[in-house]
Amino acid sequence: MRRPASRLARPSTLVLLAGVALWLWAAYALWHSTASVPEGPSLSPHRFFSASFLERSSSYERFLVVDGLLASLTLLVVLAVYARRGQRLMRESAAGRVGTGMLLGMLGFAVVWLAELPFGLVGVWWQRDHGVSHQGYLEWAVESFLGLGGSFLFIAAALAIAMGLAGPLRRWWWIAAVPAFIGLALLFAFLSPYLVPSTSPLRGPHLAEARALERREGVEGTRFAVEDVDRFTTAPNAEATGLGPTRTVILWNTLLSDDFSRAEVRAVLGHEIAHIAHEDPLKQVGWLALFLIPAAGLIELFTRRRGGMARPEAVPVALLVLVAFQLLATPMFNLVTRRIEASADWSSLEATHEPAVARAMFRRLSTTSHGSPDPPGWTALLYGSHPTIMQRIEMTYAWERARRP
Amino acid sequence: MDRAERRPVRLVVSDDLRRGRGSVFFRLWFAIPFLFWLTLWGVAAFFAAVANWFATLFSGTSPQVLHGFLARFVRFAVHTYAYLYLAAEPLPGFGGRAGYPIDVEIDPPVRQNRWKVGFRLVLVVPALFLLVAFFGSGTTTSASSGGGVNGLGLLVVAAFLGWFFALVRGRLPRGLRDLIAYGLSYAAQTWAYLTLLTDRYPSSDPLIAIGPLPVREDPVRLESSDDLRRSRLTVFFRALLAIPHLIWLVLWGIAALLAAIGNWFATLFTGTSPAGLHRFLAAYMRYQLHVFAYLYLVGNPFPGFTGERGSYPIELRIAERAPQNRWTVGFRIILALPALLIGNAYGTLVFTIAVLGWFAALFTGTMPLGLRNAGALALRYGAQVNGYLFMVTDAYPYGGPNVAPPPLTADPAFAYSPRGA
Repeated sequence: MRRPASRLARPSTLVLLAGVALWLWAAYALWHSTASVPEGPSLSPHRFFSASFLERSSSYERFLVVDGLLASLTLLVVLAVYARRGQRLMRESAAGRVGTGMLLGMLGFAVVWLAELPFGLVGVWWQRDHGVSHQGYLEWAVESFLGLGGSFLFIAAALAIAMGLAGPLRRWWWIAAVPAFIGLALLFAFLSPYLVPSTSPLRGPHLAEARALERREGVEGTRFAVEDVDRFTTAPNAEATGLGPTRTVILWNTLLSDDFSRAEVRAVLGHEIAHIAHEDPLKQVGWLALFLIPAAGLIELFTRRRGGMARPEAVPVALLVLVAFQLLATPMFNLVTRRIEASADWSSLEATHEPAVARAMFRRLSTTSHGSPDPPGWTALLYGSHPTIMQRIEMTYAWERARRP
Repeated sequence: MDRAERRPVRLVVSDDLRRGRGSVFFRLWFAIPFLFWLTLWGVAAFFAAVANWFATLFSGTSPQVLHGFLARFVRFAVHTYAYLYLAAEPLPGFGGRAGYPIDVEIDPPVRQNRWKVGFRLVLVVPALFLLVAFFGSGTTTSASSGGGVNGLGLLVVAAFLGWFFALVRGRLPRGLRDLIAYGLSYAAQTWAYLTLLTDRYPSSDPLIAIGPLPVREDPVRLESSDDLRRSRLTVFFRALLAIPHLIWLVLWGIAALLAAIGNWFATLFTGTSPAGLHRFLAAYMRYQLHVFAYLYLVGNPFPGFTGERGSYPIELRIAERAPQNRWTVGFRIILALPALLIGNAYGTLVFTIAVLGWFAALFTGTMPLGLRNAGALALRYGAQVNGYLFMVTDAYPYGGPNVAPPPLTADPAFAYSPRGA
């Protein structure tokens, strides 16, 4: 008589363990594809910012953090209720199982949008109150409503893929769906520069400096654009986006105002070009892929009681699982992005050799956006996609130290 | 139900469709004295309506004298526009007397709800929006902004096309006449409501607008099993929820366009649309109708993506393929131009209906019957235009409201039942 295999020796367990090992190896490799940056000396924020600003910015950020936390909590509660009752909305569909699933997915987002609307409006009020935003409430709400259309499209496409695959593949849909999602993410990353509205090419001395920095950082062919945002906000920002031939650095026009010197803008350009040089948009897709695998697996696990992802009844549960996973994974994802940003800061210094300018720029970033330069650790963990301003200032000293003979 | 009740403002049509070519050719010039007189009368009617507002607000009933004066004004306005837009042939009288081929019957004054009287100017606004869709905004938009005939209105487009037809044939097609009469019926109700002749809100239902309607067995016709219930949540987000469908519709539309070109060649040479292309294009037409019915709130449930027969409460019944006249196939695009113009004007109407219906359905949870039926008429016309353009049929789109004959046998494919899985 054959002895039943022990739990650990079952083929499925072995495959799972191999998958986990592969995942860990990929995460390790991706983590180390971004160079680490030496830590700087621990400095007091009072050396760079007035006590009144530190107090003001801390209060400003605390409010937004509480608002964000309440919004996240509401999001989970609303989605939990939707997971329980959302399937009733199936009667509003004359479509088949996939179409009905798409409807339930979109309605889930719609309910979430309605629930989060007050928190968003409170956030706008707070930003307006501090002069960070000029956007009117109605204008914000309408823009947010129209933006929801993009979310609908995203969720409808994702569900069409997932539910379409779940029909023939049953429990193994997610193995085929993850590559499809990665393909979509790559396509989106490729096209993203064209999806940014109100942009125009960067011109004049800034462009010449950008080209010079490109050469120093070993890249070429980057597009440089300016996005008009001053109608809505005074906060400065920039981003590196696109893949391959669509690689683009976009500067907000608030950064090109008289508040920032040419040298400071150069520091920002150096940082964004570093993202391009490090292939960070591609790495972010890589991280997304790594996070998608457990997320899709968990969705499969939690939706089984509703008949699996092939059934529209499972969609509200899938949404809850996805959002809960995303919230839980955010601190980990922030850890990754902080490392990526720190590395770009370092490369910018290597290209510009202007640590004092970088310090001045970081200071100004903080003062113009009212962001706290030294927020509490838990805030940075939950919301900090970049190193804190103080960490970035400290890093400029670390760079100086590393340069000394 | 509106259909079972006698409405206080009713259009009576006794026109025989015959038109004198000379009278048609000079219609605009002949109408000028009447339009001038209507303007003068309109000034007097304005003051009479203000007086009627005060009187009805205080006494609850419109005074007989004012009611009679304003009723004559409404009747004269209908006569004048019926003449101008070719819905009737003889010159109207200047006194607004009864007996014109396109006439209005208005009930004597009855007690009105004073709240409705007090807020009449606010309440009438949605009806005026719809009236603009019928008569046009009086402004034309540039072609570059996607405008064109949108500013002209459904009635003006119908009259413009009817002018050419009547000049050639000496008669107005019934579809165009009924379409103009339908618009005039709505206008009469709105003017009567605005001038406090009645507190019954204007109904845009084409099925009760002009008396008995023709029973037509068109090869492309619409059937409805919609119960008017609307989900407030899906109504609020309706435009966004339709986005995946609109994208799919565009993609499918590209294939349908290629199929239509193929169908044109095939039908031109063989005289009949090939079965496969006919089926493919019919499915596309059904899907398009489902999507627009959903988008414009004419239907409630989220439609499927395949245009499956019987899958939606606003459904298109498309006849099997039949031999077509090759001459009309050959010149189909040119022949379809008038229908496309009317279809464009119907598009403005159905868009207005969607906006008004959005508010109504959001507050009440139901789509008003009149708006639903008017929207269905516009969608049916659009589907018939597509059927004609795609060579699915050679039956020319019927512009006016009509009723479909009851099915002789029950077709299970058309028995819509809500489903979600």
